[in-house]
Amino acid sequence: MNTDLMVNGQAQRLDADPRTTLLDALRNYLHLMGTKKGCDHGQCGACTVLVNGRRINSCLTLACMHDGDEIVTIEGIGGPDDLSALQQAFIAHDGFQCGYCTPGQICSATAMLDEIAAGWASHATKNVASLPGLTVEEISERMSGNLCRCSAYPNIIDAILEVAAGKEQS
Amino acid sequence: MSEGRYLRPQRLDEAVDALKGGGWNLVAGGTDHYPARVVEQRPEDILDLTGLTDLRGIGEFPDHFRIGALTRWTDLIEAPLPGWFDGLKQAAREVGGVQIQNRGTIAGNLCNASPAADGVPALLSLDASVELASAGGVRILPLADFILGNRKTARRPHELMTAILTPKPARPARARFLKLGARRYLVISIVMVAGLLEVEEGRVAGARLAVGSCSAGAQRLPALEAALTGQPADAGLAMLATPEHLAGLSPIDDIRADAGYRRDAALILVRRCLADLGGLR
Repeated sequence: MNTDLMVNGQAQRLDADPRTTLLDALRNYLHLMGTKKGCDHGQCGACTVLVNGRRINSCLTLACMHDGDEIVTIEGIGGPDDLSALQQAFIAHDGFQCGYCTPGQICSATAMLDEIAAGWASHATKNVASLPGLTVEEISERMSGNLCRCSAYPNIIDAILEVAAGKEQS
Repeated sequence: MSEGRYLRPQRLDEAVDALKGGGWNLVAGGTDHYPARVVEQRPEDILDLTGLTDLRGIGEFPDHFRIGALTRWTDLIEAPLPGWFDGLKQAAREVGGVQIQNRGTIAGNLCNASPAADGVPALLSLDASVELASAGGVRILPLADFILGNRKTARRPHELMTAILTPKPARPARARFLKLGARRYLVISIVMVAGLLEVEEGRVAGARLAVGSCSAGAQRLPALEAALTGQPADAGLAMLATPEHLAGLSPIDDIRADAGYRRDAALILVRRCLADLGGLR
């Protein structure tokens, strides 16, 4: 069946079996290999992409359910010549070792910073009536959907905190 | 190999009409649909419910709240709701990570009927009912009568859950949810406890406690609820909970914990929940 997707600002028509996940559609049909397949059942977050501005696991959703949706993958966040602030910070802070989880981490963190800016509370937020603070605990909780088996977490959190602090000042 | 049918109705009448024929697998958030199919994709007929946008959102009525079936966990977290929803909101924040909360629906959590479904204890403590629609009309069932066992519900193949209804408590109420997993985040629950207290003049005027992951479906604790009623609403409520109050649970041994551990942990979580609820001002 045909599905129309807007991927990284470009209109794409997909012709695939309706059981094709969004992750497989991105990788195998649209050849966007930045989105990674880790566990393939929603536990690791390596396949995180943004759909209409929200972060989701692309392995847990069917491509055909996203007809008309806007999808942003790591390729849409920035490339070698136009790295986003988070991508630069991950390099500066060594926020990876093998790098397999990194596209998912960066897509997830991109959405997370927007969520914090919108004032959403998390489970770690002590007072849900106040704006969430940018603590290590808060970032860890909000990034809990992205695993890093090399355990680069301290550097990942440093990278995110740097960008978050920059956003707060601007 | 046949791909199977795929249908994405935009209106409820189209959806219930399609369901008359039977044979559909209903998919909304999909967060528990695909994990079961990673090893082997098989032909199936998918009724994609995500086009039924009228079923998403939370509405307030004079005596109850109506949570549309397609309301996602994130929608619930973001919604300005009275304090007695705090337990359900706490549960929502612990359903997987944010990526899961952005897709998973509350009705999906109920229809999936996992013994470890995080939403069930909290909704039992809210005395929730579910609304089921079919071409023949609408019926409403208490949640406790809807979940029949491990992955078994009273939903008939031609029915669709359209909403979850929660009555407004008669008196000022407070609510909490506690979950124990093998680690802090992104885990399937070993034990969960949800509690709601109605408090009047410093005493418990009504209590609803529910424990999840300790039986085929989450269970209320009626003997404990009766013992709490009339007691001073303070942290001392915790010590009123005894092992006998949990006698109705039937925890199992599985890869996440053994039955004895679950029983011990359930009592501790119930006591923590009551200490927390009693200590609130």
